[in-house]
Amino acid sequence: MGKSWLKRQSLLGYAFIGPNMLGVLLFFVLPAVYSFYLMFTDYTFMNPEIHFVGLDNIRRMLGDDLFYTALRNTVVFLLSVPVSIMLAFLVAAALNKSVYWKKTLRALYFMPYITSGVAVAFVWMLLFQPADGPINGFLRAIGISHPPGWLSTTESSMFAIDIIWIWFMLGYNMIIYLAALQEIPEELVEAARIDGAKPWQIIRSVVWPLVSPTTFLLLITGLIMSIKTFGIIQAITQGGPGSSTTVLSLFIYQNAFRYYEMGYASAISWAMFAIILLFTVLQWIGQKRWVHY
Amino acid sequence: MRGQSMGQTATGMKKRWGAAVSGLLLASLLGGCVGMGGNQQATGASGEAGEKAEGPVKLTMWGGVPPENGPQQVVDDWNAEHPDIQVEYVRYVNDDDGNLKLDTALSTGQNVDLFVNYAMSNLDKRTKSGVALDMAEFADYDIDKMIGEEAASWKIGDKYYGLPTTRNSTFVALNADALEKAGLPIPQEWTWDEAREYARKLKESGFRYGLVQHMASFSDPLDSAMVADGYTKQDGTSNMDDPLVGKWLETLNAMMKEDASTPPLGEQLTSKMPVENLFLGGDAAMLNIGSWLLRSSNNQKDFPRDFKIAFAPVPRLMENADDYTTSGGVGDMISINAKSAHKEEAWQFLKWYADGGMMPMAPGGRIPASSAADRDEALKQMLGDQAATYDQASLEYVMFGSGIPTFTRELSQEMVDMRAQEYEKYFLGSQTVEQATANMVKQHNAWLKKSK
Repeated sequence: MGKSWLKRQSLLGYAFIGPNMLGVLLFFVLPAVYSFYLMFTDYTFMNPEIHFVGLDNIRRMLGDDLFYTALRNTVVFLLSVPVSIMLAFLVAAALNKSVYWKKTLRALYFMPYITSGVAVAFVWMLLFQPADGPINGFLRAIGISHPPGWLSTTESSMFAIDIIWIWFMLGYNMIIYLAALQEIPEELVEAARIDGAKPWQIIRSVVWPLVSPTTFLLLITGLIMSIKTFGIIQAITQGGPGSSTTVLSLFIYQNAFRYYEMGYASAISWAMFAIILLFTVLQWIGQKRWVHY
Repeated sequence: MRGQSMGQTATGMKKRWGAAVSGLLLASLLGGCVGMGGNQQATGASGEAGEKAEGPVKLTMWGGVPPENGPQQVVDDWNAEHPDIQVEYVRYVNDDDGNLKLDTALSTGQNVDLFVNYAMSNLDKRTKSGVALDMAEFADYDIDKMIGEEAASWKIGDKYYGLPTTRNSTFVALNADALEKAGLPIPQEWTWDEAREYARKLKESGFRYGLVQHMASFSDPLDSAMVADGYTKQDGTSNMDDPLVGKWLETLNAMMKEDASTPPLGEQLTSKMPVENLFLGGDAAMLNIGSWLLRSSNNQKDFPRDFKIAFAPVPRLMENADDYTTSGGVGDMISINAKSAHKEEAWQFLKWYADGGMMPMAPGGRIPASSAADRDEALKQMLGDQAATYDQASLEYVMFGSGIPTFTRELSQEMVDMRAQEYEKYFLGSQTVEQATANMVKQHNAWLKKSK
């Protein structure tokens, strides 16, 4: 009796996850396995001939200047993640308590996250216009005669994208932090206050360590999400000017869907996978030092 | 007790709901698979069915022009005359995503009977994959004779894999009123140095920019130089450090920075500058563009203007006018899908289209290339009720009379992009002319070696 109930339960369990597993298998596992195979071929889309070329694609990647440019741009892009997390923590700490218009401000900070990426892209392109955009207009008004060219120079474009991305991620990071801050027992903060801790000391030594698991979560998910980001950069710069905003994901897209070089694009994709994996493993090892559960 | 039983019922309900939902999901997924399979079978079978059945033959044509700008009128005209062959027009956007969509449709055997190629690099891929039919199959149409010798630039391995249908023109559109005021004649041939002088004077006369350039035309002068001097040197290595390349880079750079008579490239790219609006709105006096300008300049409702437009050929880099070639020639290369079940019908439609059926496309700037089509009628249609707002003599000159030989860009997309990256870095000041050309040569050589 008991056994058949158990059996029924586990069958039901499989039935529940079945559709999802089928989807994952069809649209994720199989393509991933296939791309692993393609990595070792010279497959170009529309060309029916596939040859096995061994490690040629990987060799080509390692000798490709653009690959290193993309790698460097990706690193600069990822700098936005910790910055956004720090800012989000400060904003969340401020919005957690005595501030007027608390709820309105929370909603406002969250707005970018639920706005269409393309709309965001176009608004920022207007804001960043070097000659007659509002940002440089403001900078000139306060006495800076040579404001940066933002998206229009190869030196500053990646940082301009960083600023957009920080602003975009802020709301999401803030909401998660707000939830974590609600979980902090009031007694701990109160005890610190009775012991004479100043507000910034409380934040630094009590609140920050207590939300460290959240920081860790945001760091891992943020890095993974950012390294895969494609849409917003494609909408704003398409990787330019020059190749100054070509990040890895864009580089893969260009090779796969602009030049149809699927084999080469697969190789870069797996390189990107290896990088994400390495990042995540390093963080798991590193977290023991600073994450307090 | 009561509460417990309630709870049990509730979980029971949940379970049943869960099972129902997951069942539904599963069914829909399976349904999707079955549907896909069914569809494929249907497409596969449609050929045979079409030959046997009495109903009209259905053709699908994929093109990049929005239906309302002519193509819908064209297929409506055909369908009214030919009840037995019905054509449907599907629009794809002629960019990376759109071409990918068409290529996916072609390689997965979806219903595409005819498709329009806008670039040699696209046609080349489609030919290699065997989806573009060799036109030699049809003996009743002499492409070289009907379309003219310019058609040959679309040949791949001495064969036509489609029929070029339009006469493409690139030109510099001029604000005729402004030129007259500044005492500048409408040029019939000119160099970039002269164009720079024009731009400077026109800027001084009060325009924000003397010259703006459409990004599709921007790098044409480079190809023009390469067609004259060769993309590669005699020894097979890259010729991208040809003096004319440096000449182009330096002239434009001076126009951007010293004269401020043309927008800095960084600004133009990142603001996605709408150059047609700048020109038609009177902010820029000259515009380097092609016949697709007519789509906007004929539309006075959205682009009101109070000046006449005149036309000049694109300026040349080399001193000697005899070495000059310009982008253009014939375009809108329409191929028949080699796997189509109705090649013969598709061919009938294509001939009719090229020999004048495409006339409703003229207001969008698409003049038929075939000698069977009525050129004057096409010009009349193209200008419509706006004819008085153009300097027609100069328009006819740049379209038909200049006698400048034309080319179709054959450089691969990768190299076009590579070149663009290097000149962008130069115009944005992060490398010198020497570095830019050296980088182009280096990467072009690597490419030449790889594709050997």
